[in-house]
Amino acid sequence: MSTNLSKVRHVRGFDLVKPFSITAMVAIMLPLVFLPLASIFIFGTSSGPQKFWDALMAPEAIFALKLSIVTSFWATVFNVFFGLFAAYVLSKYNFWGRNALIVTISLPTAVPTAVAGFALLLLWGPYGILGRYLEPHGIQIMFTATAIILANIFVTFPLAFGVIKPVFDTMNTSLEEASATMGATRWQTFWYVTLPSLRGAIVSGALLTFARAVGEFGSTILVSGNLAQRTQTAPLYIFAKFNEGQVEAANAIAIVLVVFSFLIFSILFIARDWLETE
Amino acid sequence: MRSFRYICIAVLFAAFFLTGGCLPSPPEGTGGRSITLFGFSIMKEALEKEIVPAFVVKWKREHGEEPAFVSSFAGSETITNQILQGAPADVAILSIERDADRLVEGKAVTHDFHQSPHKGIINKTPFVILVRKGNPKGIQDFPDLAKPGVQIIHPDPVSSGGAQWSILSIYGSELKKSEAETGTADSGRALRTLQAIWKNVTATPGSAREARTSFETGYGDALITYELEGLLMKQAGAAVDMVVPKSTIFSEHPAVLIDRNVDASERPMMEAFIAYLWSDDAQKAFVKYHFRSVTNESFNDANKEFADIEQPFTIEMFGGWSKAYPEIIEKVFRDQVQKK
Repeated sequence: MSTNLSKVRHVRGFDLVKPFSITAMVAIMLPLVFLPLASIFIFGTSSGPQKFWDALMAPEAIFALKLSIVTSFWATVFNVFFGLFAAYVLSKYNFWGRNALIVTISLPTAVPTAVAGFALLLLWGPYGILGRYLEPHGIQIMFTATAIILANIFVTFPLAFGVIKPVFDTMNTSLEEASATMGATRWQTFWYVTLPSLRGAIVSGALLTFARAVGEFGSTILVSGNLAQRTQTAPLYIFAKFNEGQVEAANAIAIVLVVFSFLIFSILFIARDWLETE
Repeated sequence: MRSFRYICIAVLFAAFFLTGGCLPSPPEGTGGRSITLFGFSIMKEALEKEIVPAFVVKWKREHGEEPAFVSSFAGSETITNQILQGAPADVAILSIERDADRLVEGKAVTHDFHQSPHKGIINKTPFVILVRKGNPKGIQDFPDLAKPGVQIIHPDPVSSGGAQWSILSIYGSELKKSEAETGTADSGRALRTLQAIWKNVTATPGSAREARTSFETGYGDALITYELEGLLMKQAGAAVDMVVPKSTIFSEHPAVLIDRNVDASERPMMEAFIAYLWSDDAQKAFVKYHFRSVTNESFNDANKEFADIEQPFTIEMFGGWSKAYPEIIEKVFRDQVQKK
């Protein structure tokens, strides 16, 4: 259909649809995506590079960025392993309740993050369903870095799974079967046959999870306690600075997050090409 | 080529593990002990820039130990809810006494803070109206905020103590003025004014400080807030004018020790910190940051910017927070103003 269209709209061998489509796309993205991003850069650097640098080098800011990276990292490690495992189980085996499980795994994307945070508080908080049995033993999960990791795991739960599962579903099982008939163990088959075709999906899933976790706000603010240099992640730091009216300091960190995400998605793009063009 | 790819990816993952593997260590004092302080939004500057550093120096001189301070600032109701849910605060400085009472109800605070000096109140500040430079909407007192076309930024009473002070300020101001004019406090007039003003409220941010940020970024014609917020904004060179109502409330802010989170060995340090808030040094520091002293009125003369209030009043006019909250915030504001 589209090829027919482009043939029709050629004017003296020049495809009008192409420049028109690109312009329209950029024009739509301009107010919705580009300008909001640009305003972060404009306001973050409005008082000159020295102020910007000072804002970045503030100990609270550095701590917040590090904490965000670490908590997102562990959430990513967990969710990639779990996503791989869950995708394997759910696409290999057919059992009663399988579809219900697939839907349940995807649910955290639809739950408002504030609800996720509150749910964690009600479960693990000192007065929560489980937390109240931990508290007498001196174990506190909420208002620590662990709480942030738990919140990140919850909200990014479906991402890696969602990327890996379709690859499993469309995978050609004849190779695995061949491997099995040649006497390979289940583990050997998985390691030498199944896993290599999943590399691209695993890297995509990991980076998506990581990028999403670094930006997480709604659940983190509820479960972390928002303590400066203890449990304040980068998005919470940004929010705190906005509240204090320090728009530049807030935007300086926002710029770091934007650049960081840009790098992550660029890596994602390159890595996927690399790994899938074997 | 293929091995190059693997090396690249391995390096990437190694870098990822190295940067992401372990938690950054929080700064510690020399004694390894820390005071976790939860404060309502506008307390930040005075505490972080003056009072906390001064206390650390004092404690170190007297006990040879340097406590680390950890702090979190948000709307008064927000931090109270966080503490009730188990947040590890040692000391809370709240906008309204009602929040301290809620902490008592929730068993986070088990001592009677009303017995502390000054009933637990560490400082106070009157409520004023901030308008754009030159006062283009001609606002002189609270009733002018009800004029058509005035857009008001008002913090959200659900999360902010300052918002509740503001409501009490408008309501009490009309009571006080009507009493001065006719001899009897006219609660009908107070209710009508509050209803008319609330119709002009276009945004309700979560805390007094968030409301100020919205106002600073150019949103709205008027903001009802603590006097010190206005003075801080003017000090920072913001294009705003401060309108002092004829009659307004002095908000009074309590500090409480959170017994649940403080063990016996830490208690002396926490108590010393709270006691320090009433010291002359701390009270003078509050005045420097535009709060008014509660221990010594003569300290307040040091700040030339403080407004004169013709007919000031306090929460006592309503019979304290235990009456003001159910009778004004709930029965008047929630039931008759917000639901209209």
